Amino acid sequence: MSQLQVKVASIQDVSAGVRHFTLVDASGGELPAFSGGSHIVVTMPAPGRTYRNAYSLLSSPEDRAHYEIAVHRQPQSRGGSIYMHEAVKVGSVLDISYPVNLFALSRVAKHHLLIAGGIGITPFMAQIHDLERLGGDYSLHYGFRSREHAAFADALKGRVSQRAVCYDESLGQRMDFDALLRAQPLGTHVYACGPQGMVEALVATARALGWPEHHIHSEQFLAPPVGEPFTLKLSKSELEITVQGDMSMLEALEAAGVDAPSLCRGGACGRCELEVLGTDGQLQHHDHYLSDADKASGRKIMPCVSRAKCGYLELNL
Amino acid sequence: MERGYWIRSKPVYTALLWNDKATAHAVLAEGEGGLAVLKLFQQALPEQPITVFYSPAGADKDYLPALQAAVDADLRVFETTADLMAAWASYLAEARMGLRIYTTGIEKFMWDVAETAASFGILNQDVMKELTGSLARSVYCVHCKSLTHEVTSNIATCGGCGRKLFVRDHFSRRMGAYMGLMVDAENPGEVPQIEEIYP
Repeated sequence: MSQLQVKVASIQDVSAGVRHFTLVDASGGELPAFSGGSHIVVTMPAPGRTYRNAYSLLSSPEDRAHYEIAVHRQPQSRGGSIYMHEAVKVGSVLDISYPVNLFALSRVAKHHLLIAGGIGITPFMAQIHDLERLGGDYSLHYGFRSREHAAFADALKGRVSQRAVCYDESLGQRMDFDALLRAQPLGTHVYACGPQGMVEALVATARALGWPEHHIHSEQFLAPPVGEPFTLKLSKSELEITVQGDMSMLEALEAAGVDAPSLCRGGACGRCELEVLGTDGQLQHHDHYLSDADKASGRKIMPCVSRAKCGYLELNL
Repeated sequence: MERGYWIRSKPVYTALLWNDKATAHAVLAEGEGGLAVLKLFQQALPEQPITVFYSPAGADKDYLPALQAAVDADLRVFETTADLMAAWASYLAEARMGLRIYTTGIEKFMWDVAETAASFGILNQDVMKELTGSLARSVYCVHCKSLTHEVTSNIATCGGCGRKLFVRDHFSRRMGAYMGLMVDAENPGEVPQIEEIYP
């Protein structure tokens, strides 16, 4: 994967547990262009192991001097967000991937309905820049646990208060997906980013109300779930690799020096798909990419987030 | 054309079926499409409100009495297809997401319905279509760029430039028309026998 080197120019705490990083090109040049909804993968060389997490870019796509990301500290995480909060300081140099957009705005939509939950606000911060610049018709609905958790809510109030509606759950304010979706004019596209339960409920409601599949967009970056250790047998390279319980298959492959393809590392993009040749146990699929039929076939797996409950898993790699 | 000749761009039309996941339904029919609407209303009806737009233009039979008896919904009848299309556009301007669209009639009618829906952000793949009445084609002349409608033969005379056009199966969803190429470009005047193959 092509990498960029960036330097941390500033760090701000924007809400409870959310830290905002401003990144500049390490050699002082312009950063690659991106479109709203793009993310980067940050490489975090922690002692003993390397983490790679995807973060949405929230800065203006017109600003080529900076990238901005926001990292929510996940207390039960495997360590990536903790590394960003504790080890990364102003002046730290980080390797990041080029921006990739798996959550792009539709070009044929007549109206854009943006639904954010918690830290899921980040891709919309950049998309709103694009929509404002292009004169797109949109509305943003942003739910958060309480005022302390409302990252960027004040900035939104100032910039786009006409189009943004906030929901403070601590005050009992909740989005009514059914009513909201029923009220949308023809040609609306809906975009959801946030906690898994929220995104799944939104998508299920839209489908039940007859929204065509390509009018429904969602993005969730999953952290690889923790499981039990097992052995990977690689048929082409004739290697055996142990996947520890708190490591993903992809991380284990990378740690062993195997050149396995990957992109989003969150079960969304499909780049890392591998062919399963056999196992003595059960595949545990966690991605949003493979179809139910693919998952049931037992022939394919996304090693970034999925794993297996087994003694060994043989891959065509 | 050799047996089994097929290209992907040629649309496949099936029978209309209600889609239960919806907030409303709009059915648009012209001419012989009246029969397809009657078939649709013999299926179990969905719970959501239904609006039927019908223009009898081109029908072989008078389906109106049967439609008025069978259609347990908002039935709107138009004398001309132009009136129907104008009403369709006004309806779409007020419509909400979750509307399911069904259309039946000749190809030109169905693709005009889909084109109007597309101007409101609904893709043609989300407009269910059942071909009725005639296989007549709209033909796009690749030489003068004009459209000739209701072509029923393998070779059409272009309404724009008068060329004899071979009517291909290559279909444009944007224009709702098949590609027409000058048939005697190599040997002027040598036009194969003209047969009615799209009755």
